[in-house]
Amino acid sequence: MFRALGDPTRRAILDRLRHRERPVSELCAPFAMSQPAISQHLKVLADAGLVTATRCGRERVYRLRAAPLRDAHDWLGHFEQFWPAKLDNLAAYLDGESDDPES
Amino acid sequence: MKRDLKLERVYPRPPERVWRALTDRRALSQWLMETDFEPTLGHRFTFRARPQPGWDGITYCEVIELDPPRRLAYTWRGGPGKDRPLTLDTVVRFTLTPEGSGTRLILEHTGFSGLKSVLVSFMMKAGWNKMLRTSLDAVIAGLA
Repeated sequence: MFRALGDPTRRAILDRLRHRERPVSELCAPFAMSQPAISQHLKVLADAGLVTATRCGRERVYRLRAAPLRDAHDWLGHFEQFWPAKLDNLAAYLDGESDDPES
Repeated sequence: MKRDLKLERVYPRPPERVWRALTDRRALSQWLMETDFEPTLGHRFTFRARPQPGWDGITYCEVIELDPPRRLAYTWRGGPGKDRPLTLDTVVRFTLTPEGSGTRLILEHTGFSGLKSVLVSFMMKAGWNKMLRTSLDAVIAGLA
């Protein structure tokens, strides 16, 4: 997923899907790229679980999936709490060690 | 909004002692998490913790930098498990420098680049704040 979000075009596509689902043609409109190029980006996003596609007539319609982004945000929040607590543990661990390096 | 995590601490122990706490399996299990770490470049190991929502509790790591007693880095990967894609693909790096008779430890947890700005924009505009906050609180509560 991190790789999927690393590309500015893909982030822009996600941004355009934020408020509602859109067909491929609408997603291509603001970009100076061919439809196959956009479709390739959409495939990367779909593989990462960030979008889902449904067929509507001759077009595929893409919709944003929130859960993976929420998971990723949880990770960042998690480590902002996790590491300070662990570095405190390390201080306590070092305090508790004998000054004798062989012990 | 910062994209990576960087923390600094000074411990009143020489670098060799701090290094040992960072690289000794029993020490790590005491202050960090249960692990089968070995101080060998390329060694693959795990940290094990209680599973949380969206995480099976297993952190998959590989030693990628080893320069005793100055620098240690490993990959830090994880996810919901059961063949589902990784949601975390990051690197943790410890840098030790002598400071007086003690040690300055710098911890960097990187690889979140490009992510946070996207998430923040989504959260703000999609009204996810409350929902995210709730799930985050659950994760923290689970750690206690």
